[in-house]
Amino acid sequence: MPIKSSEITPEKVYKSRRTLIAAGLGILAVPLLDKGYGLLQQKQDELDQPLMPEPSYAEVVERPLEPTPYETVTGYNNYYEFGYGKDDPAKADKTLITSPWSVEIGGEGADKPGVYDIADIKGEHGIENHLYRFRCVEAWSMVIPWNGIKLAEVIKAAKPNSKAKFVRFTTLNDSQQMPNADWAGGPYIEGLTIDEAMNPLTLLATGIYDKPLEQQNGAPIRLVVPWKYGFKYAKSIVKIELVEEVPQTTWWQQNQREYGFYANVNPRFDHPRWTQATERVIGQLGRKPTLLYNGYAEEVAHMYPDQNNRLYFF
Amino acid sequence: MGLRTIPLATRKHLLNIALCIGLIWGVYDAIMGPDLVSDLRDFTGRYGAYLLLISLMFSPLSKRWNWVKRNLTMRRNIGVWGFIYATVHLLIWIMLEFYYDWVLMLDEIAGNLFILLGIFAFVLLVPLALTSNRWGLKRYGYRKWQNIHTLTYMAVPAVIAHHFMAQKSDVLEPLLMALVLVLVLVWRYRNAH
Repeated sequence: MPIKSSEITPEKVYKSRRTLIAAGLGILAVPLLDKGYGLLQQKQDELDQPLMPEPSYAEVVERPLEPTPYETVTGYNNYYEFGYGKDDPAKADKTLITSPWSVEIGGEGADKPGVYDIADIKGEHGIENHLYRFRCVEAWSMVIPWNGIKLAEVIKAAKPNSKAKFVRFTTLNDSQQMPNADWAGGPYIEGLTIDEAMNPLTLLATGIYDKPLEQQNGAPIRLVVPWKYGFKYAKSIVKIELVEEVPQTTWWQQNQREYGFYANVNPRFDHPRWTQATERVIGQLGRKPTLLYNGYAEEVAHMYPDQNNRLYFF
Repeated sequence: MGLRTIPLATRKHLLNIALCIGLIWGVYDAIMGPDLVSDLRDFTGRYGAYLLLISLMFSPLSKRWNWVKRNLTMRRNIGVWGFIYATVHLLIWIMLEFYYDWVLMLDEIAGNLFILLGIFAFVLLVPLALTSNRWGLKRYGYRKWQNIHTLTYMAVPAVIAHHFMAQKSDVLEPLLMALVLVLVLVWRYRNAH
């Protein structure tokens, strides 16, 4: 049967259709273009943004903190070794063996290295309670009542020498105990400068809400650095090393443009793909402005000489 | 045998019910979870994107498989449900995530290309959803209707790009979606008629 002429699409129409489809392919390439543009542009525009109005900063920092409920803190976690989803770590089988647990403390910067049982570490140094803001690089936040010891005390006990310039943390990496242990192709590595590690805010947490840490929160011992993004808080720590070279951290190796070594919270320096100016408070409606150094500028700002250098803020 | 014995209209009803239950389940799961806002936002976003992508796959696959061809008109149901999921996704963003803080929202849009892409996609989808019914087909006639719906070949790429850029690091899933989409678009380009 011959095709009726009315059934044949006029050339103009199918050409315009082709244009639309080609445009669709172009739109799909936008993330690539954006990435290329970001690499070329060198973050200058971020520096042009005005500083946070300082009076309101002090005012906001003084506001009392409302702790995030225990169920939320233990139900919403990033712990890729137990799955990529936010509730995967909480839902995962309790396969992590946290007792006995020992932490090796060493590195070329430690004159008194050793392997310590977690009970000894807890017993030797006083457990303190600290209510800290927690800010994830994904622009959400919580307020968490930690129980833990000051990292500074553990480091002092290891007798740091002049080679102790950085502290390198290693998370347990055992596929028997962690279903997704291999996600980064090796153990999760985090790091701090020695000054950051000795800062009185920095904790080795062993509990929250006066309960021992749950597996999903990094049991039995994890790092807490409240002025930095959450990925710095190494979980289930098995090794702490005082080293001379800057540690090659896991997220840095995953993506060097997006997750740096310092990762200090700063609303002025956006993540390459989303804004860090505001944060979603988990369990609440709406967003709130993010604070410079997550509200701990008074305690930590002196460690970073240049407030305009992105190096310190991603 | 099997599905074939069920009339097409019934099959469509079953599909509608399944996708509606899926949405209700997503809401229920989010309410039970630790963070309703992000759970529901991500659930509706992800599965809305899947539905829209699937709606584009009907055309090329129907040339290959007869069972797809027999169900070709279900494409419209899937597309409309993709739009419904996208609408819930957008409403959550406005009502729950930003709690109607329009100034902050504008700030967020200005600073985030991926949100702009998402809004762009949604705007393109609105006329498609509004005309995805008997009235729309009658009002515009098949030829013109089809022209309007070619917009989907711009909207879905924007959706996938939006999904890709919203990921923290693990981009395998959106990459696979993009790959499927490229195949569909290239096929569609070569077979434009």
